[in-house]
Amino acid sequence: MSNVETAPKQAGAAANAGIDLALRMGGLLLAIIVVAGVFIAINPNLANLNMGASLLRSMSSVAIMALGLTLVIVVGEIDLSFGATYGLAVNALAVMWLFGGIPVYLAIILAVLVGTAVGLFNGLLVTRLNIPSFIVTLGSYNLLYGISLWVSNTATFNPAYPPPDVTIPDAELDFFVGLTQSFGSFGLSLEVVWMFGIALVVAFLLHRSLFGFRLMAIGGNTRAAELARLPVKRYKILAFTLCGTLAAVAGILDFSFIQTSQPNTGLSFTFPVFAAVIIGGASLSGGKGTVIGTLGGALLLAILQLGLSILSPGPHVQQIFLGAVTIGAVALDLLLTSIRKRRAA
Amino acid sequence: MSAAEGPTDKGVRIRGVAKRYGSTVALDGIDLDLVPGEVLGIAGPNGAGKSTLMRIIAGEEKPDSGTLTLDGVPWFPSVNWHNVAVVHQEPQLFPNLTVADNVMVGREGTRSGKPRLSAADGEVMKALGIARYAGVLLEDCTLATAQRTEIARAVARQARVFLFDEPNSALTEEESDELFREMKKLAGEGRIVLLVTHRLGDLVAHAKRVAVIRDGKVRAMLEGSGLTEDAIAQQLVVDSGAEAAAKGAGGAHAGKSTVAEVSGWSHGAAFRDISFSARPGEIIALMGVEGSGAREFLRSLAGLERCSGTIRVAEERGEAAQLLTAYVPATRVESLYSNFSVGENLLVRLGRPDIAGVALALKKRRMKELAAEAVQRFLVKTRTTTQLIRSLSGGNQQKVAIAQALNCSPRLLLLEEPTRGVDIRSKREIYRLLRDYAEEGNAVLMFCTEVLEVYEAADRVHVVSEGRLSPAIDVHGYDQVEKLATDITRLESHAGVAA
Repeated sequence: MSNVETAPKQAGAAANAGIDLALRMGGLLLAIIVVAGVFIAINPNLANLNMGASLLRSMSSVAIMALGLTLVIVVGEIDLSFGATYGLAVNALAVMWLFGGIPVYLAIILAVLVGTAVGLFNGLLVTRLNIPSFIVTLGSYNLLYGISLWVSNTATFNPAYPPPDVTIPDAELDFFVGLTQSFGSFGLSLEVVWMFGIALVVAFLLHRSLFGFRLMAIGGNTRAAELARLPVKRYKILAFTLCGTLAAVAGILDFSFIQTSQPNTGLSFTFPVFAAVIIGGASLSGGKGTVIGTLGGALLLAILQLGLSILSPGPHVQQIFLGAVTIGAVALDLLLTSIRKRRAA
Repeated sequence: MSAAEGPTDKGVRIRGVAKRYGSTVALDGIDLDLVPGEVLGIAGPNGAGKSTLMRIIAGEEKPDSGTLTLDGVPWFPSVNWHNVAVVHQEPQLFPNLTVADNVMVGREGTRSGKPRLSAADGEVMKALGIARYAGVLLEDCTLATAQRTEIARAVARQARVFLFDEPNSALTEEESDELFREMKKLAGEGRIVLLVTHRLGDLVAHAKRVAVIRDGKVRAMLEGSGLTEDAIAQQLVVDSGAEAAAKGAGGAHAGKSTVAEVSGWSHGAAFRDISFSARPGEIIALMGVEGSGAREFLRSLAGLERCSGTIRVAEERGEAAQLLTAYVPATRVESLYSNFSVGENLLVRLGRPDIAGVALALKKRRMKELAAEAVQRFLVKTRTTTQLIRSLSGGNQQKVAIAQALNCSPRLLLLEEPTRGVDIRSKREIYRLLRDYAEEGNAVLMFCTEVLEVYEAADRVHVVSEGRLSPAIDVHGYDQVEKLATDITRLESHAGVAA
């Protein structure tokens, strides 16, 4: 009657689980290999480790934001404001540091806290006032962009060229630039290390901790979680807060690497970050999503973007490919999922 | 039987139809004849393959093997689905359209103008008594009208086969009677009518023959004088090994102090000033019509409704007391997580230290052990703990829903309709689980809608009426369920009057 798996069954199950995992991750992996292969076939010079290092750098800020967004999407909500949060963190940091005379060490912490505060704001509005997160974050997107324009006074900043009457100590500038310094013979940026470090932490949170287990439960069936007295509101607020924090971190790291800021910086990330999460297999209805998938999604987009910008067939091609690959990757994933289901049946 | 080769090839013949889901055999070669002009009842425990068979006939699912013929011609319901009409428990219609629009939808034609009701459709609606609601939005209609609309829709597209799936579970008695009259009329006009229901009385009263499906096969065909409630019930539970009634000692812990107590317990709208206590080992039933406040009272004990008054469970008071309760909602839609495996569903209510340790890290191995233990202990029929919850039958899903709550060791378990939509076999197993749990020194409070459930599983029953709790009725004092039903009904209209 009530049979639980026995030992020999378990061994077979392990092999099956391997194939299942391959099918689950396979679509994305296949897409990455095919896209990379096509670029290398067109231009064999692309296949070198320097290119690899710069590829990883270019995916890192999208990946960091996408990891935060994955948490929000897993819990069944949506965040449209992370791009604006990224921009506000960058502009706040620049203004505090270059104009406010606040040392960069403290300014960075405050800028990260700006992101945390934005996430908390979103989370509180969603859970306490029961406003749909789509609307809350659409609102905060514009709100934050407005604040960015205000604090930056629509100026661009570069710490290497501070305002005339301000001098930035070399130690501070070195520290700031050092956050994403390149190292090793292939010029790998520290930003990549940050990305992998954050990915490890988020992977633990999502897949190996009670926090993630409950996020999945809440996203899977919010009503049931409420009736079972799981801390639904607290966990949703936490997911938004982490998303906002990571958006600010991504902005600060990019600012350190690029060293210039625009008033509208970050806004254009909204689409690619969403695409990375969705390509990575997260479900917009909640309860589903993985760190490895999200990283794969970000990698695929970065390959496309970098490859097309180097081959430069024109800006229209880049846009068309981005769109086609987003749809194609998800279609492939659905196809493989149905094969997996049929195997299970 | 003559229907197989007799003068008529009329009707649907099902031969050797089989269907598997993974390693679960849902249908194991079904042979069944559906004859025009009669109502054929289908009974079977949950997980017996009943709903799979219905889905195959309705064309929502393709059989792995076997054949279906309609009037002697091979028939593939998934292609010729318009031959079949399914009347659901909750009609699958368009609430934002009018009744007439609902009847027309799908057959509006291809003209660009706004479609108009044809004379034939009008006749159909008149025959079903819904013509006067033609212009009313469906969402403003009663459930009975919506069901009639669903029937009208099918009659209008000239469906041959009508499947009624638990059609009257939410209807009043009069509405059900009318529905059954309608069913017989459909059969009388030469259509094929199938009735699937858990209510054995309805099968006996309204079906000409009843097929009992168990373990993926037709195990018995009851008709004529052999068609009685007892006969169906016997066929349903044969070999179940769970026939021992869950009737407990009921008072084994009597005399001991109470495990839960509320007094002056008031809710803003639903009830006021309720005093209630439960002793260890007791299973207490709660009844009350919709809007009586019974459901709210149950939920309030778990802290899911805002209330004033004092509450004590075991040694705790107030909110801490409510944490020693666990609530199981009436529908599995509100208790199970479809993105989770069986094991994860069983453990989802646990936290630190049971399944997580330092830094909230999950104890994966411990979780596996706990899930395996729970599957054994709560008699969940599943192949592994890692398969998705949806792969289980309804009865087993319900066991998981209850086990999920029991797993966090509440001292007071609160259930709403613990065996809704569950077959007799699972029902008995669930009653046994509840009894075992109570005997460990806990109390169970369950909201019931059927007196039979109270009679079979509870020690005492309270009736809630207009926000007041009646004195207890001792269920053990009754040797007939009918007498109990009479007394409960009396209380439902006059709560507060001593029993």
